[in-house]
Amino acid sequence: MTPPTPTTTAPDTVAADLAAIWGELLGLEPDDVPTDTEFLRLGGDSVLSVRMAALVRRRLGVVLALSDVTVEITLDRLADLVRRRSTAAGTVRDLPVDVVRRADPTAPFPLMPLQQGYFVGQQGGWELSYESAHFYGDVGLTGVDGDEAADALTDAVERLAEHQPTLRARVTPEGMQYVLPPDAPGAIPAVRVYDLRDATEEEATATLERVRAEMSSTGPDPVHGPGLDLRLTLLPGDRGRLHTAMNLLVFDGWSATVLNRELLTLSADWNAVLPPLEIDFGDYVQALGRLTGTEAWAADRDWWWGRLDGLPQPPALPLRADPKDVRPVLMHTRERHLAPEQWAALRAACAERGVTPSTALLTAFAATMARWAGHRDLLLNSLQLNRLPVHPDIHRLVGAFASTMLIPVELPEGATFAAAATAVQRVFTEHAAHNLVSGVEVSRELARRRGTTRPVGPVVFQSTLGMDAAVGDRHPSSVGPLGEISFADFHHQLRTPQVALEARVYELNDELAVVFSLVEELFTPEEVDAAFAGMVALTEALADGSGWDRVLDLPAAREPEGDGLRLGRLDGARGDDASGPLADDVERRVAEVWEDLLDVPVLDRGADFFRLGGDSLVAVRALARMTREFGVQLGVRDFLDLPTVAGAAAAVRAARAAEAGSASR
Amino acid sequence: MTGPLVGVLGGSGTVGRVVLDRLAGYGTGPLRVGGRDPGRTRAAAERVGGEPVAVDLADPASLARFCAGCGVVVNAAGPSYRVLDTVARAAVAAGADYVDAAGDAAALAALGRGAPAGLAERSALFSAGLMPGLSGLLPRLLAEPGPLRRLDVYVGGATAIGPLSAVDALLTRGPGFGTALAAWRDGRVAENALAPLRSVALPGFRHPVHAWPFLSAEAAALAADLGVDELRNYTVYVSENIPEALATAWAADDRPLEEHVPAVVAAADADVALDGPWYTLLFHARPRDPARGGPTRLVVRTPDSYALSGVVAALAAHRLAEGGVPPGARPAAEVLDPRAVLDALAADPLVDGVELG
Repeated sequence: MTPPTPTTTAPDTVAADLAAIWGELLGLEPDDVPTDTEFLRLGGDSVLSVRMAALVRRRLGVVLALSDVTVEITLDRLADLVRRRSTAAGTVRDLPVDVVRRADPTAPFPLMPLQQGYFVGQQGGWELSYESAHFYGDVGLTGVDGDEAADALTDAVERLAEHQPTLRARVTPEGMQYVLPPDAPGAIPAVRVYDLRDATEEEATATLERVRAEMSSTGPDPVHGPGLDLRLTLLPGDRGRLHTAMNLLVFDGWSATVLNRELLTLSADWNAVLPPLEIDFGDYVQALGRLTGTEAWAADRDWWWGRLDGLPQPPALPLRADPKDVRPVLMHTRERHLAPEQWAALRAACAERGVTPSTALLTAFAATMARWAGHRDLLLNSLQLNRLPVHPDIHRLVGAFASTMLIPVELPEGATFAAAATAVQRVFTEHAAHNLVSGVEVSRELARRRGTTRPVGPVVFQSTLGMDAAVGDRHPSSVGPLGEISFADFHHQLRTPQVALEARVYELNDELAVVFSLVEELFTPEEVDAAFAGMVALTEALADGSGWDRVLDLPAAREPEGDGLRLGRLDGARGDDASGPLADDVERRVAEVWEDLLDVPVLDRGADFFRLGGDSLVAVRALARMTREFGVQLGVRDFLDLPTVAGAAAAVRAARAAEAGSASR
Repeated sequence: MTGPLVGVLGGSGTVGRVVLDRLAGYGTGPLRVGGRDPGRTRAAAERVGGEPVAVDLADPASLARFCAGCGVVVNAAGPSYRVLDTVARAAVAAGADYVDAAGDAAALAALGRGAPAGLAERSALFSAGLMPGLSGLLPRLLAEPGPLRRLDVYVGGATAIGPLSAVDALLTRGPGFGTALAAWRDGRVAENALAPLRSVALPGFRHPVHAWPFLSAEAAALAADLGVDELRNYTVYVSENIPEALATAWAADDRPLEEHVPAVVAAADADVALDGPWYTLLFHARPRDPARGGPTRLVVRTPDSYALSGVVAALAAHRLAEGGVPPGARPAAEVLDPRAVLDALAADPLVDGVELG
């Protein structure tokens, strides 16, 4: 991926030429043509739009497809389109957007698809959701200067919040995000300090447990305050602990690495200055918004949409509880580290076979899941931290860039691990090449087609192997007044909604960490232990070289079979037998609220909110509107269980009946 | 048969054949079949035991001979833009009532210019087809139980368009026909009120479809007649093929219309190739009184929209033959009884389904 070169060209006449054309067609002075209003709203129609395309072709020499020049186009978007068409495409995949600095850095901007998922998760909207989706970690410090450490850290946070606007990010209850100016009250995350330098060991342990429990189960929530919670414990013997909780709505895993590094760099040196950033996360989101609807984006969407019906099922792992019936507070963990020399050997073995370490571990995870689930064709989800290369600063930004990607893994029968890994790598590369449409959107469409309210990709793989190199530099281990960081003394905890089990592989201190984060309430613990042990054993066999040419021991079945409660085989069907005309006034009013939000006709009581084009974010808005419209409180889950007009109207009637009942008592 | 003699012009065409079959089935009256090709006309007449007559629309004398003695004349010959009021004038002059399976506002207007004296005695019904026709008639059923706040009309699907009909389609533009992207709101045309809907799921339609807002003259008249606060009228296509072909043609209006006919025909063929021919009329009403009962939605589905317009024309002719229709020229939708027409459609083999609820 090459960073795009800034497009500095001669004074841009495209906008003026286009305004002249619109003026002619619409009977307006060119200067009076607003640049952000749809052609349609200015009096244009489909005929005029065809003429407009013809004039553009004649006067600017740029050929536009009819499908590009819709009546909904604005002058701004048309200018973008013309500029892109008039420059020859490069050899690499050219992203058809340029990122530009927004005029107002505090202006609200929309949530990215994965952010939407986390946002809705925080409303208790999904099964397997939590009050906050966040990552918590604490790490030991030695040689702490107890008198200076707190000030150094506080000062570092202030400087970092100035440098990285995302530290000042907030999310509105309606699901938009914005950045507070640095001098706004509460904009800078505060550092809380526990001074236990004179405390007993018991007191120190009790406090640590209390802080961990609190920060693990109650994450910082950008709807109400900063998305980052930083605390410092000062302990006897010049020891300490640095506690960090980051809400996933505003920080992704890559950002966590960047943030930690910069925070420690600034803490280590009062005079440290970070290279300035030309753009921020909001600029990136804005640029991606312009990507939607472009040809490149449409091509990726069509590519995915064409494959959806052939995708396999998620691993049919045996369950001890239905996910919709559990209310987990924390995700549980299994963790094992491979020593630096084992990890180095694994990297060498991968290089020799021409697969990346991430692919090798993904294949090992898939094989582990296949054995546990009893079938070889699996739909896995993955967290992708890659950022689209729209600007040279992009990898240094903190923000919620992450997305997901569905990976259909079809493990061949009787193949060696090496052959299976090669196949997995091919599939992964092919799918990753169509990443202009996020996996969240793909999953949404898949759920719509499968007619299920259940998560379609509840088993997740996340690799950050190689990310350190991409971010550049390494963690400083010596942090001035904060002393030395003990990477071996690291405790962490993750909560992500809609995930039953997530495998994470990452590098820490030259070791390879293999981690399962899971909702323990769902699985039989012994089965989790066995699966994890199997994954670790396979990884070790890959490191020592013995695992590659062994034929993988896999179940014969390709598709899920077996009865009982299994992941991916739960009843998630939406009742759509209720189709017919809108039955009464409640249904008609529900339909009108939906029409207003979705901009499509809602003419059937069986119409499904999500098949009509709604997403989880609009669902939150729809609930708020229906609550206002009918004056009763509607639950997110009730809505998602039956997201049809008839279902929502039934929920309204039930809520009214319940309120009438409690009022009469 | 005891009814009046009914003359059907264009009786060997797609529409005309259906008109003849249905009139024979309803027992409306003895039939006379007119057409340009004597052989095909004779064959069509034989099927229904009618009298074949060779007619050349360009020859007033032959047209007058055809109309003489008829109680009702049905025109199922096209194209409408060329026929206009030619047959209507001949029919009225011969003392017959008149039905036009197509013939929209332009034909009505043509007849209005120097209206024949016979119209004081005889009735002429235009637009006795699907759209215009059923699209202006059937929604009236939904307004019978009480006034409407909003009425949505969606009509379309995938259907082959012959070269002659393609010209009619290309001509459906301009003030006499309607306004693209407009709605009817609070007693008048609201321009640019609606945006095209892409890939929407609509009850009664097979797949997600594209719906283009087009406030037709018929829809505007219906809205005014029923006194609805808002009317949204959409023409539905299964792809962008036809809208693109029409827009391209209309954008290049410096060329003769005929040049664009093959593109329109090909676009319609491409639509049919997707999933065969199908056509749906969907009407959705929102009553002004929330507590009002009665039906709020009507869906009519047919595999062949052109053939079905023959059924509508036959029903109009049958109604005229029964007598009691006031004299003058008007759209069939203003005269026919929506309930009776719907019942007849529900029993017709060309209709896949009627859902009123």
